[in-house]
Amino acid sequence: MSIVVAYSPDPYGRAALAHGAVQAEQRHEDVLVVNATRGDSLVDRRFADDADLARVRQGLDTLGLSASITHEVVDDVAAAVVATAERVQASLVVVGIRPRSPVGKMLLGSVAQRVILDAPCPVLAVKPDGASDEV
Amino acid sequence: MDLLLEGFATALTPENLLYAVIGVLLGTAVGVLPGIGPAMTVALLLPVTYNVSPTSGLILFAGIYYGGMYGGSTTSILLNTPGESSSVVTALEGNKMAKAGRAAQALATAAIGSFVAGTIGTILLVALAPNIADVVVKLGAPSYFAIMVLSLFTVTAVLGSSKLRGLISLALGLAIGLVGTSTGQQRLTFGSPQLADGIDVVVVAVAIFAIGEALWVAAHLRRRPLDIIPVGRPWMSRDDWGRSWKPWLRGTAYGFPFGALPAGGAEVPTFLSYITERRLTKKPEEFGKGAIEGVAGPEAANNASAAGTLVPLLAIGLPTTATAAVILVAMQNYGLQPGPQFMDAEPKLVWGLLASLFVANTLLLVLNLPLAPVWAKLLQIRRPYLYAGILFFASLGAYSVNFQAFDLGLLLCLGLLGLAMRRFGLPVLPLIIGVILGPRLEEQLTTALAISQGDLSTLWSEPVAVVVYVVMALMIVGLVVTGFRRRNKGVTDRIDDNYQEVSM
Amino acid sequence: MSDTETRSDGRSPQVTDVAQYGLAAFLLAVGVVVVVDARSLDRGFADQPVQPYALPYVVGAALLVLGVLLAVATWRGDTPEAEGGEDVDLTQGSDWATVAKLVAVFAVVIATIDWLGWAIVGAFLFAASARVLGSRTLLLNVAIGAALSLLTWYGFYVGLGIPIPAGVLDGVL
Repeated sequence: MSIVVAYSPDPYGRAALAHGAVQAEQRHEDVLVVNATRGDSLVDRRFADDADLARVRQGLDTLGLSASITHEVVDDVAAAVVATAERVQASLVVVGIRPRSPVGKMLLGSVAQRVILDAPCPVLAVKPDGASDEV
Repeated sequence: MDLLLEGFATALTPENLLYAVIGVLLGTAVGVLPGIGPAMTVALLLPVTYNVSPTSGLILFAGIYYGGMYGGSTTSILLNTPGESSSVVTALEGNKMAKAGRAAQALATAAIGSFVAGTIGTILLVALAPNIADVVVKLGAPSYFAIMVLSLFTVTAVLGSSKLRGLISLALGLAIGLVGTSTGQQRLTFGSPQLADGIDVVVVAVAIFAIGEALWVAAHLRRRPLDIIPVGRPWMSRDDWGRSWKPWLRGTAYGFPFGALPAGGAEVPTFLSYITERRLTKKPEEFGKGAIEGVAGPEAANNASAAGTLVPLLAIGLPTTATAAVILVAMQNYGLQPGPQFMDAEPKLVWGLLASLFVANTLLLVLNLPLAPVWAKLLQIRRPYLYAGILFFASLGAYSVNFQAFDLGLLLCLGLLGLAMRRFGLPVLPLIIGVILGPRLEEQLTTALAISQGDLSTLWSEPVAVVVYVVMALMIVGLVVTGFRRRNKGVTDRIDDNYQEVSM
Repeated sequence: MSDTETRSDGRSPQVTDVAQYGLAAFLLAVGVVVVVDARSLDRGFADQPVQPYALPYVVGAALLVLGVLLAVATWRGDTPEAEGGEDVDLTQGSDWATVAKLVAVFAVVIATIDWLGWAIVGAFLFAASARVLGSRTLLLNVAIGAALSLLTWYGFYVGLGIPIPAGVLDGVL
């Protein structure tokens, strides 16, 4: 069994990663980090660069966790996270949630919300706190 | 001098200052944004010529031109994606500097170098343009005809890698320019009343620059986001200053003359500046790893050539770059005809415009040094909105000419032509120049032959015309010789090689 | 590390670009049209040194010659160097379906603008092209499109003093 972490190089993604790592340690499961983008802008802050992902891998390795990372361009980020969870029959999906007004949700949609609704397994929705910088 | 001071009085009115600020900001923004360049932006903004005063409108466009030249360097340095051929060389060292953690210094030397080069270039422009105009005003129609033929020839055959494709583009442009009414007869109008007045150059410019480009990008969207290098506020150390000021001046010396010649363009001077700096540097080991000289020189050359292109535009009415061509369209929309008489007939406008170039340059420096992180944020705009916006404003621009659905149809057809041109590697500039100069060429030829009552020898009866034809003949000989000697090893090819190095 | 396919550049310089024959044919067609049209023109004033058909003959002939030259060059293996750019990825092949959809959107705009007016058609143009280009947030597309077209309509009307025809919304705006 493995735990899928929806990662982005910002406080929300790091919070998800930190909580995912803690869960994986407790349950003795693998971590699968997913970082995806729709690739519809020249620069996407939520698409990690290679150096950042190398740091993520190193952090997980130091914790002694078996980790794999997918880094890809997809049509729909939420669907990609859900599909990954289905493919590996994940026991848990971890997402970081960002504050957004109801109007903002209606207009922009929310990756976290769609993952929570569509995932085939329990979803842990976390917020950034002081502990999020540990990994 | 008094004229220039009066020009400053015109340029510094609150209204014109506002247009200069808008122009500079907009120009830098579009220089930074992927897929939009200054030529397209001026084309999209042509509707403002219907109501904004000529002085303000031209100040706006000049600000966009200068700002766009600067904005292109930002993406070259931070993303390694030179948007225009003139900033290819900047990316060579600039992106290496950014990767080595010196993005702030690279941006600073580009901005200050642009300011230095732009200011010196504008001083040269102010000094030269009236004198050239005084000479040109004495020329007759035969000389004009010769100069126009020369400029068509250089833009078509000297610039660009494929002569055949340049000529094809020029011929298509001339064909579009034929449409309309000549001496009471309908030419190529197919009986359509909407075509009787000719195809509006605004529609052609918007279609070729905006629609063609948007469709071409839509077919080739880059999907994987690029890694951007974070940047703080640009600044330079004493050592950076010491290494930058000479390349700035040398770059200016390369850029201005190349811009001012009818065979203008910024590619050759930026490349020459780069190889000069690489030869002269005291730290040759840094070249290829992020040498500041390799950013300072080409960026200065780039902006100095932009100032240089305004010399033939204002003094003779000849555009040598795409942006200059669209600015000429704007002037014609105002009923202005740049050329030798222009400076005497419209002193307030011309000197106001020249003074505003100094203002625009200073604004660029003041605004852009602190704003660099903001410009970097623009790159996160989502492409669907960016290109949908381009299509929206292009349609608005074409529709606002006559409020006829017919113009939109024309826009679509010419836009598809623009798409095909990009697919088949046809350069855009000869087509636009052909559309603009074709009718004027016919006019000058008619004038010349009417005076001589049909005697063709009048065409080489003036010394200037003879000199121009000799120059042209020499260029043809030179092209043939170099074509034989080193088939595919021209300067442009070497730049292309470097470009491939950059994009790898 | 990356799951995206990085296709190696499949272009080989020796392949003939068949589509370029199409461009050559287009040039020949335009050349023929220009020359035929020029033949229909009469002499202007008798003493006019440059008759209205003079330049069309030159341009038409040039187009015909260039069309033939291009066809020959293509046959000899000349391939075009498609234009690159900041936002253009030439290594991924061409996506002509998107272009076709955009052209269709444009055709709808041309067909309806006289009837519906700029405010509605402009909003449609923006929203539909954004959708075609891959934006999934339909509501946001329409909202931005409507805002843009209303702003430009009023901007032209108030700022530039140019009333754009309002179409069916005449009297509402």
